[in-house]
Amino acid sequence: MANSTIVRIAGAAGDGIQSTGELLGKTCSRMGLHVLAYNSFQSAIRGGHVWLQMAIGSEKQYDHGEEPEVVLLFNKTSPAVHVPDVKSGGIVFYNAGSIKKEEIESLRSDVNFYGLDFKAMVDAVKLTDVNPVMINVMLAGALVQTLNLDAKVTLEFIKDKFLKKGEKVVELNNAIFNLGFEWTKANTKPLELKLKGNNIPKMFLSGNDAIGMGLVAGGLKFYAAYPMSPATGILHYISTLAQSDKLIVKQVEDELAAINWAVGAGHAGVRAATGTAGGGFCLMVEGLGLAAMAEVPLVTILVQRGGPSTGVPTKIEQADISLAMGGNGEFPRFILAPKDLEDCFYQSARALNIAEKYQVPVILMSDFFLSEHFGTVDDLDFSKIKIERGKLTTEWNSNEKYKRYAYTEDGVSPRVRPGTPGAMHLVVSDEHNEYGHLMSDVDAGLPHAREARIKMHAKRMHKVELMIENGDASPPILEGDVNAETTFVTWGSTYAYIKSAMVLLEKEGVKANHLHFTDIYPVPREQTLALFKKCKRLISVEANMCNALCRQILTETGFEITEHINRWDGEPFTGEYIVNELKRLEIKKKQLISV
Amino acid sequence: MTANIIDRKDRPALDPKDFKGDVHPDWCPGCGDFGVLNCLQRAFAELGIPQHEIAVISGIGCSSNLPGFINTYGMHTLHGRSLPNAQGFKLSHHDMTVVAVGGDGDGYGIGVGHFIHALRRNIDLTYIVMNNSIYGLTTGQTSPTSALGMKTKSTPFGNPEAPLNPLTLALGSGAGFVSRVFTGNPKQVIEVYKAAIKHKGFALIDTFSPCVTFNKINTAKFYKDTTYDLNAKGHDTSDIKAAFAVAMKTPDGSEPIATGIFYQSERPCYEESEKDTLSIPVVDHQLGISPQRAKELKAKFK
Repeated sequence: MANSTIVRIAGAAGDGIQSTGELLGKTCSRMGLHVLAYNSFQSAIRGGHVWLQMAIGSEKQYDHGEEPEVVLLFNKTSPAVHVPDVKSGGIVFYNAGSIKKEEIESLRSDVNFYGLDFKAMVDAVKLTDVNPVMINVMLAGALVQTLNLDAKVTLEFIKDKFLKKGEKVVELNNAIFNLGFEWTKANTKPLELKLKGNNIPKMFLSGNDAIGMGLVAGGLKFYAAYPMSPATGILHYISTLAQSDKLIVKQVEDELAAINWAVGAGHAGVRAATGTAGGGFCLMVEGLGLAAMAEVPLVTILVQRGGPSTGVPTKIEQADISLAMGGNGEFPRFILAPKDLEDCFYQSARALNIAEKYQVPVILMSDFFLSEHFGTVDDLDFSKIKIERGKLTTEWNSNEKYKRYAYTEDGVSPRVRPGTPGAMHLVVSDEHNEYGHLMSDVDAGLPHAREARIKMHAKRMHKVELMIENGDASPPILEGDVNAETTFVTWGSTYAYIKSAMVLLEKEGVKANHLHFTDIYPVPREQTLALFKKCKRLISVEANMCNALCRQILTETGFEITEHINRWDGEPFTGEYIVNELKRLEIKKKQLISV
Repeated sequence: MTANIIDRKDRPALDPKDFKGDVHPDWCPGCGDFGVLNCLQRAFAELGIPQHEIAVISGIGCSSNLPGFINTYGMHTLHGRSLPNAQGFKLSHHDMTVVAVGGDGDGYGIGVGHFIHALRRNIDLTYIVMNNSIYGLTTGQTSPTSALGMKTKSTPFGNPEAPLNPLTLALGSGAGFVSRVFTGNPKQVIEVYKAAIKHKGFALIDTFSPCVTFNKINTAKFYKDTTYDLNAKGHDTSDIKAAFAVAMKTPDGSEPIATGIFYQSERPCYEESEKDTLSIPVVDHQLGISPQRAKELKAKFK
């Protein structure tokens, strides 16, 4: 009997797709099952067609999959879009109030269709104060029965969720849930499925939640942002903690403001961050240079979406590495990209440490899928988070004038917090000497200013080498059989889909392994090249057209990856998609050889 | 230090010399900005605020070089971004005195979006705009406060745009302290700067600071001949209608130009809304999450 399955829930925005997903996700996570849910939604608040696909299993889930086994359809747009995808032998529950039986059932003969007539069913038991949108709770009942999940757990969650609205609301939701559950029990055949959880509740959260929690665990005290999908969830989560955890969380007038607020806060001496999507990041780039030049620690979250310009706000793309590497002039920075929910938590905390240790801007790159998808994690271990503030001090006892930008062996200068008696100084965006005096205006071009330009620029850029020497910038990680014929090269959320693809390939007797980049800049050249040498055939897998990671690798190491699997239609990869693309590459290769 | 949201107590005066920076200003001889620097140093000294409790934060432009010439903490940031940096700094370390400075191009041109939001937000900081109605550092182009018809390098046939009025903009955006001074009257400048720094909330001091090199119209002589002290004439600074009436007049010299405090009223400053978080400066908060709190944070997702 299978121990995993895939569920899809589809309808119009406003149909309650999200809350049905939450009901299912929480039921599973509280039972100790693993889930991974992908939201395919549009940039519309009501009316657009949206769906959510959730993989559920006893083991950790890496792939939301292609073919759903159980499907809930809410509106009349749904059947044509989703019925063709259903796994043969699968089950479709639909809202018989808006979808015609003849129309949907004519679409497939190898799928079981069950229409639930919400109005008739609630009228039959004389339920009052019922809103038609509550069909989502009824369909959730059908789902819980079909998947043989623990209805007690769902009812408990309904109570937690609706109790603040009153006992009556809870009772009504329970009644409607039970209607769906009992009807399904009486009228349908359950799936041959054994979803067994360990009954230890897991966390069920999004990537943006995990990033926010990682920042707060890492000592974040200040977050300024301007709303932009798919980064807004971070602002939402951190905002909920503003009072309880005494954080300054500000929605400001634009992204120019957001990054500069964070720089001001970072210079004052708090751990500060901002977050946005690619378009907003474009506005922030000058501020990034300011942080680097003034040597103010700063963390910027860059959540990539389909681009360019306004692009496709609610779809995935991984094409912003050159943007994160951008800005006028040359300056040090650190770029890292978490790979899954746990990593979102730990890397966010790590970003804050690196920013303060090197007094540089750190860019944490996420993507639409990683930030917006929901899934389970066993635990996030706060005790692993160490807060290291580098050369920050609140004491200055020397009689000498304090030099904010003192030349030091490692290029990092002792940083006295403003407010400390005796160490008054200025941080500046112009080129400057050790004291922060400008070398850009009346001094520019004079011998001492040229010397300062050479030395100060080298001092800052030396931090990049130092990140590598200190081992803070890590090479990619090679996972799987070292002798494999094929190596997939990835970054960001694509990590999980390679995991899934490797399982599928193994079943076909193909051995593949996986080289995954978390640190995108700087790249430790020698260690990375040594890893490439171990691999027989390298194929990059990126959600873009122009191979952003490969270009970065080429620039930083001189090594060129020549085979690529790309996807830029806005949907995330799946294991199956990657396997198919690999097969296509094989055919192409054979054709080339035969020519 | 005591929390500024409560009150700034008068302290013994300090020596203005102690506020002199290491670097001598590189402004043109005769630039109005010397007057601003001098008056600001005197205002700090007379209020008795120690140097290390002050941050002077600027954008980019001739006048934005000011933080380099004063012995306090400070930031010299990007063009137009003094206020975002200053607000971020202030909320992080709210018991420091934060003064944002810059020019009319910096504050009323490229940074005007931030200006309006700072006005309505009302964080307790002081904003000195050295207004010379010209872009000086880029060698003489039109500015948001250049007069209609003014010939500059970028408007050789005369400026076709009406000037922005910073005072009515501030009054209309909820500012609690709106003032204008002229550097040729240092006594008044010092008094208004002191009042602005002591004001709880956002305080604007639009400061006529003539450019001797690129603006031959709005000269020191022009302002000396046309300005008068509004506060010496019995103006009621609590009357916003009276403030608007005076502020609406275009300062083109066709009639006397008012200077002084136009309007002052204390509405709760932004910091009042974060009293709990700001019970001690955020920079002094203990970092990290306790094991108990970590459990609670995780439980919310279970």
